[in-house]
Amino acid sequence: MNAENPKPIIVLENLVKIYRQGKLEVPAVRGVNLEIKSGEFTAISGPSGSGKTTVLNIIGALDDPTDGKVFVEGIHLASLSRSALSKLRRDRIGFVFQAYNLIPVLTAFENAEIVLALQGVAVKDRRERVMGLLADVGLEGMEHRRPDQLSGGQQQRVAIARAIASNPAVVLADEPTANVDSSTAEKLLSIMEKLNRKQHVTFVFSTHDQKVMDRARRIIHLVDGKISNDEIRE
Amino acid sequence: MRSTGMATMAWRNLRRNRRRTALTVFGISFGVLLAVIFTGIGDSSYADMIDLAARMGTGHVTVQHGDYLDTPSVSKTVTGTSKISALAARDENVKSISTRITGQVLLATSAASYGAAMLAIDPQKENKDTFALFDSVDEGAMFESGADKGIILGAKLAQNLDTKMGRKVVYTLTDKSGEIVSGLARVKGILRTGSQSVDAGLCILPIDTVRKTLGFDTDEATQVAVFLYDQRNSEKVAQRLKKTIGENAQVLTWDKSNPALAGFIGMKVSGTVIFEILILILIAAGIFNTIFVSVMERMREFGIMSAIGFSPTKIFSLVMWESLWIGIIGLISAAAITAYPYYLMATKGIDVSKMTGGEQSLEVAGVAMSPVIYADIYPQSILVICLAVFGATLLSGLYPAWRAGKVVPVESIKLV
Ligand SMILES: Nc1ncnc2c1ncn2[C@@H]1O[C@H](COP(=O)(O)OP(=O)(O)OP(=O)(O)O)[C@@H](O)[C@H]1O
Ligand SMILES: [Mg+2]
Repeated sequence: MNAENPKPIIVLENLVKIYRQGKLEVPAVRGVNLEIKSGEFTAISGPSGSGKTTVLNIIGALDDPTDGKVFVEGIHLASLSRSALSKLRRDRIGFVFQAYNLIPVLTAFENAEIVLALQGVAVKDRRERVMGLLADVGLEGMEHRRPDQLSGGQQQRVAIARAIASNPAVVLADEPTANVDSSTAEKLLSIMEKLNRKQHVTFVFSTHDQKVMDRARRIIHLVDGKISNDEIRE
Repeated sequence: MRSTGMATMAWRNLRRNRRRTALTVFGISFGVLLAVIFTGIGDSSYADMIDLAARMGTGHVTVQHGDYLDTPSVSKTVTGTSKISALAARDENVKSISTRITGQVLLATSAASYGAAMLAIDPQKENKDTFALFDSVDEGAMFESGADKGIILGAKLAQNLDTKMGRKVVYTLTDKSGEIVSGLARVKGILRTGSQSVDAGLCILPIDTVRKTLGFDTDEATQVAVFLYDQRNSEKVAQRLKKTIGENAQVLTWDKSNPALAGFIGMKVSGTVIFEILILILIAAGIFNTIFVSVMERMREFGIMSAIGFSPTKIFSLVMWESLWIGIIGLISAAAITAYPYYLMATKGIDVSKMTGGEQSLEVAGVAMSPVIYADIYPQSILVICLAVFGATLLSGLYPAWRAGKVVPVESIKLV
């Protein structure tokens, strides 16, 4: 852990999520308590159906818990309106999904700057920031390509650039490497690591992949909707 | 937001499925084409009918005796016609004014006698814009002056009377005191129009001669017919005239003096409106289908957008922009594909006599119509069509846009 002992940016208290399918109740998350601090590089692992996606969605204010509390930077999400949640996602959370993250009609550059544009950041500032970020993720010279002119790995890099463009509190990535080959996965991880170290971006990502897991500094292992192991490495 | 504004994104989205967009745009354009041509034909033919009706007798606005409409007779006169004419002439919408005596007349020759409609005119103050048949004198010629001693007969009427050019005809009228008066005239011309009611039932006499026969003042007649540049101003002109000439005479617009024609046009106009509404519904259904399908196909994309912070309003406005663009391109392309067909319809028209086959002239409520149909749309009608199409476009985007705005990211982003 960091020496300064920074305050947690995410706190889950007794998180429960039960999906209802007609009369059937599917418990996806069953009492998770968790704190994530600024600067972490954390993997959520676990077998298929263990609740990784559900947890990330709830942290990211995309889904509501059935029970328990979620705090993002000290704010209790249940207290926010729909539009406040939308703003929170825009300003404080970065998302990278498994695939097809990008808006197909926008170029790499436009995709990466879209959140800043939504925030109303001036064109010039946007440009500076986004060109720098695209260089950081290794996409120099590809700014004007559309998503369909980029490989899967390159698309994920744009998604990472977009996710961090507005300096969010945390980037949530649900299986960001599941759709790319292993060497591409390695490269994506390296990029994320570099951003984490140099720009102090907090990453929480889920994965199945042992190699990806090994790059994390903290691994939260989920089984049947419960944390079975929370391992801090290094 | 500049490069990545909603308008730009919407525009690019339309280019993703060009064929679908093109088909929708074509649908709009074709609908507008139909609506414009159809409305143009309506506007033009109603205006033609009204103008022709005006030129066939009553003018766009008629000043006559208060009882003339119910019981037309040469004894129901208006006096001070030159003052009325002078008052009417002050209105800038008025093109010309004619004073006439109209009524029933009995015509007799040595062979036969027939009743007919009489129109007594001042040939020096009439032309074919005030009196449609002015140039239809087929044999012989129009009178030289209002004091001429001639008579002009419909061709069939002349035949019925067994008379011809240069022969004598006695015309008999009832004067204001109920006395029978008559005059003698020589056949000066024959009218041949193809319209039954004219050819078999109309005679034209010179107004001053008729005044003398009836014992009228030089300022007395049964009708002051007022002609306008544009028939749509009839009501306005009539109202103004009513105020200035007061109670002495009745002022009627063409639709009051020709209710059969007014009814016919009213019916046709409702037909056009129904047709336009149908076109509008088809256009709206086409746009709705396009936008709705494309929205449903893109729910995942909207889910991502919502996740990264697009507000429901932003997503709604993106889809509305797509509808707006479709409407704009639709109207531009409509203008492009409508221009030439409309130009042809406006300049060359369609000769329906070839379709209906034969010589028969079209007659509507006693008004003979040209067999060539033209389109001549009022600017207001174009504006109404454009606004309606535009409105339909936006309206059909509303529901899909609302659906898109309501996207639930967790449901739509799920990967299989
Ligand atoms: N919308 C839903 N309705 C019903 N059940 C659901 C729904 N979403 C997830 N579940 C169930 O909740 C449990 C947890 O699902 P979740 O997607 O969070 O797992 P996961 O760990 O992300 O799995 P994977 O590794 O396959 O992505 C599973 O049993 C799943 O079937
Ligand atoms: Mg998952």
